[in-house]
Amino acid sequence: MDFELTQDQKAARDFAREAAEREIRPKAIEIDRDHAIPDSVIKKISELGFLGSYFPAEYSGAGLDFLSYALIIEEISKVCGSTGVLISAHTSLGCAPVFQFGSEDQKKKFLDPMARGEKIGCFLLTEPGSGSDVSSLSTTYVKEKGQFRINGSKNFITNGGFKGTGILFATYNRKLKHKGISAFIVDLNSKGVEILKNEDKMGIRGSYTTAFAFDDLMVPEDCLLGAEGEGFHIAMETLNGGRIGIAAQALGIAGGAFERARDYSLQRQQFGRPIADFQAIQFKLAEMAMKIETGRLLTYKAAWQKDQKKDHTLTSAMAKAYTSKSAVSVTDEALQIHGGYGYIVDYEVERMFRDAKITEIYEGTNEIQKLVIAKELLKK
Amino acid sequence: MKILVAIKHVIDVELNIKVKDGQLDLEGLQYVMSAWDENAVEEAVALKESHDAETVVISIGSDDATVSIRKAFAMGIDAGIHVSDPNLRYPDSLTVAKIINGVRQDKNFDLILLGRQAQDTDNGLTAGLLAEIADLPFVANATKIEVIDEKKLKVTRQADIGKEVIELSLPAVISVNDSINEPRLASLKGIMQAKKKTIETMDAGLLGIDSGEASLVEVMEFLPPVARAQGQKFDGDAQEITEKVVGLLINEAKVL
Repeated sequence: MDFELTQDQKAARDFAREAAEREIRPKAIEIDRDHAIPDSVIKKISELGFLGSYFPAEYSGAGLDFLSYALIIEEISKVCGSTGVLISAHTSLGCAPVFQFGSEDQKKKFLDPMARGEKIGCFLLTEPGSGSDVSSLSTTYVKEKGQFRINGSKNFITNGGFKGTGILFATYNRKLKHKGISAFIVDLNSKGVEILKNEDKMGIRGSYTTAFAFDDLMVPEDCLLGAEGEGFHIAMETLNGGRIGIAAQALGIAGGAFERARDYSLQRQQFGRPIADFQAIQFKLAEMAMKIETGRLLTYKAAWQKDQKKDHTLTSAMAKAYTSKSAVSVTDEALQIHGGYGYIVDYEVERMFRDAKITEIYEGTNEIQKLVIAKELLKK
Repeated sequence: MKILVAIKHVIDVELNIKVKDGQLDLEGLQYVMSAWDENAVEEAVALKESHDAETVVISIGSDDATVSIRKAFAMGIDAGIHVSDPNLRYPDSLTVAKIINGVRQDKNFDLILLGRQAQDTDNGLTAGLLAEIADLPFVANATKIEVIDEKKLKVTRQADIGKEVIELSLPAVISVNDSINEPRLASLKGIMQAKKKTIETMDAGLLGIDSGEASLVEVMEFLPPVARAQGQKFDGDAQEITEKVVGLLINEAKVL
């Protein structure tokens, strides 16, 4: 057993840390305030190679392993949860299904521009009436003369507002439940795609979360991802990997809040000494660090299993549920350690507290994660 | 154009450096590419992008120096030379200049770029010594480099008062100021590709330099900076404190 990261993984992590500090951290307050990640930041993260980190060079990726990708998400989320989820949703949910299930032509045509950052990827699964209950989705498709005609609506689509490349799920017969679902690669800049609204959210306010309506969207036949009826399987497999990305994001948000709380407690003087001298603060820091480290072990293990092509369903569900819950509690304590200053925007921990909550909800609520965990545990 | 960039792998001066028994306490220190040399690397890569130059970095010293060479690769430099020699841990500027000149003659470079000084010693001697030994035109502290043609550059330098614009013919030596550019962050792809490039190792002896004898300057002892004396704090009535402080400024500090 070896708990050391490889040289490559360390290099990727250190590079992401430096890039995050230099390029993203100075903009984090503005990103939250303006509900948008500036184009200049997106251009930068794409130039730095963060939008295609774990795909091979032949598809314009950086050729890293999945654990390195998780380390990058963690480092970036330490300074900005919105930018963290932009990269995570783009990579895990937009690029990954094409990489895993796409034909060679589809990879060249769709993965390559996404890995280069020319198109931002997103995942169109959730609908107003179907969240956790994926098989009840009501967006439909009909096959017509070598094309698919799609009608319906989607909401809470992370990165939707960029109108890049989407992995869209629709059914040809609702009665067939999950067996009727197929996945399509769609250009969201097409006729028949309408953005209904951009959501105003509690946290990750820079993330571009959009509701869509599809009115006779025509998708060419060669944009069917995998086989017809394989959509549910593609969605579940994709979310399996996506969970590691969200776990890494939660880990990063918690880590960022912890670092600030530790630094603040060493510098803030009360009763004539740094508040870090008080056991009340020390115990908080110890608890926070334990949660982060436990979550980190789970997350890295899940990523390692994915790299080793081992089944990671159980570990990634555990990692996602555990790190997200920890992130909420760690950011809460970080804010508490900051006292009144923590409630002020400039100190950034209040933003992290708001950003953390979503990690318990998206890419499978923690309740769904527990169902996944139990199902794995009770497997015969 | 063939460009040689000389880079130094130095102690990260952002960290707290301690001195023990007249020697640097190397425990816990980290090493990085000297900041001005990053500017020189950036300038070389920019010239490569705009004028199709061939770029090579050279670093002298222990094996750790390859870390900075790989960083230069990740930023876009084509090739690297490491002059390795255990005696060259703290070579003086003249020795470094002689080695760079040896490599220059060996491989026919048109332009040698250096940072204006290294961030550890702050001597700022190597570039000038190199130009003198090599008998080449030299501009120190450049803030802008423009290519006129294959054989000519226009260089702007920061002088004591104002800026000077100098035209010079190649081959030449230029040291750069940090205002010349903003060194790029490498990309993930660059870092991965950097690992695959090979670094050529050269021996100082083969360049005709006896590293054991070469240094004319020896560092005898390192001394920590004198710690600032603790200040005085005054409590109480503003009127009284003012009188007291003014009195101290006149009688003790003798600044009034």
